[in-house]
Amino acid sequence: MKLQGLKYDYYLIILTTFILFAIGIVCLYAITYYNYLAVDPQWTRTGQYMDFINSMDSYLYPFLILLLVTLGLCIPKRLLDRDILVKFCALALGVTLILTFSSGIEAALGFLLVVMIGIQSYVLILVFRRSKAVRFEKEGYVVRLGSTLLHLGIVIVIFNFVNLREAQFHIPVFWIGTLLITAGNIFSFYPARISSLFHTK
Amino acid sequence: MGFPEYLAARESLVLYGQPVLTYILLVSLLQFLVSVLYLWKKNDTYYGNLIKLLYISTALYIVGFLFLIKFHVQVYNTVLIEYPVFLRQMIPVETSRFAIPLWIENEKLYFWTMATSVFVLIMQRRKDIVAFLGVILAVFSTIVYFFSNPFIDPLPRAHSEITGWYATLAAGDPAIYQAAGSLFGRITYYYNSTYMWTHPPMLFIAYASLIITAAACVYMLIRQDRIYDEIAYRYAKIGYILLTTGMLIGYPWAIEAWKDSAWWWDPKISGSIMMWVLYSAYLHARIYVNRNKMWNTTAYLGIICFLSLVFTYLLTYIVPGIHSVVQP
Repeated sequence: MKLQGLKYDYYLIILTTFILFAIGIVCLYAITYYNYLAVDPQWTRTGQYMDFINSMDSYLYPFLILLLVTLGLCIPKRLLDRDILVKFCALALGVTLILTFSSGIEAALGFLLVVMIGIQSYVLILVFRRSKAVRFEKEGYVVRLGSTLLHLGIVIVIFNFVNLREAQFHIPVFWIGTLLITAGNIFSFYPARISSLFHTK
Repeated sequence: MGFPEYLAARESLVLYGQPVLTYILLVSLLQFLVSVLYLWKKNDTYYGNLIKLLYISTALYIVGFLFLIKFHVQVYNTVLIEYPVFLRQMIPVETSRFAIPLWIENEKLYFWTMATSVFVLIMQRRKDIVAFLGVILAVFSTIVYFFSNPFIDPLPRAHSEITGWYATLAAGDPAIYQAAGSLFGRITYYYNSTYMWTHPPMLFIAYASLIITAAACVYMLIRQDRIYDEIAYRYAKIGYILLTTGMLIGYPWAIEAWKDSAWWWDPKISGSIMMWVLYSAYLHARIYVNRNKMWNTTAYLGIICFLSLVFTYLLTYIVPGIHSVVQP
């Protein structure tokens, strides 16, 4: 069972790595395409620029959805059994697909991001309370806290970029996400030093 | 204090700075030679000399940097932009000074190389990696000297803006309103912006740290020893924290400074995101470094990440865009 669990996590990591790599390739394509379009120096003042942004967003969003689903498979594993987890993710993906066709990919991505923010926030509360209901790969309170803060920060920042770009509180939300990501990174990478700083075991 | 004093300060930087960079180049060439000799013959005498040369070149970099700091302070003290009365009704200030950061134009690569030199000196001593980095640093110093020399023509773009302003002022040109308006925007949102003082240095220090990660990944593949993976990871952590936060800090700045410009999916931004996701992939893959020769994959990933870093840095010079110096 333990080996199976390890395999599951291992393949999840491999999948996440591939998705991140794919996002990198989308970015590389964006650079090449931008360079090609920039033959006309005024192209960013034309409708062509909006078309470029929309098409690049449409290439990126499916990979973001996949990334969020793998996060979805990764994070609630700390709360739920694997069978329930797979069903949960299949349900989330199903609703996302329905929303993609009915309301557009941005709304679908927004839905998935809100679900992820909800789950991450719940995990964070459990970690704060040192609940035993939440299971982690790595031991140690600070590492767990760091990992949760980092993942929560990332989903907040992506949600802010995708769905709150025009909102009045866009920048404050951005700073909250940035703070969570930075703290999460520091806590995850230097747990011993942080522990000694706060005398937390 | 005014324009003549500014010109004198600029000449003084050329006079004192250029010899320092020439010494850096000479020391770096020696460093290159000694590094190659150590990598080839594994003789500790070469390594001892290499460390001495690294100390000398780093000290020289710091001396040159102090000259740059002095020059930037002089620019601040000597150049005062007094806005025309008409313009003062539209902007919140009557005058501006240039608080120019120390990592722009041809100072960027200098700052990055200096930061890398410091990292190499304080890193855990693995002789082979230090020698390998000695070669890389020598290459960087040569590029700085010939292609990004901050002393031969200090801050060319800022200089043309300053001289342009004084020329317009002296001619009593009616274009002064337009010149003052664009200078106000440039000083407020670029030179004197808090973001300009935080976003680029965090990235350059991250780049310096990530060079060590790349070098350790190369050695990980050659030697297949776990110690190199640990070194790579140690510096990837520092680099990743600074890279992530530094990149994010650029976002509110872009909104503030480029509100009417086309910057979404700009090549430099796309390149930075690409670099960031690749480093995220590296750190993710590294969680299972002990399984199925995963260290091999992570080492290759670490090298690919660094290539994407160099590519992202070069994008400013090879692809048009809002971050770029290239015109389509």
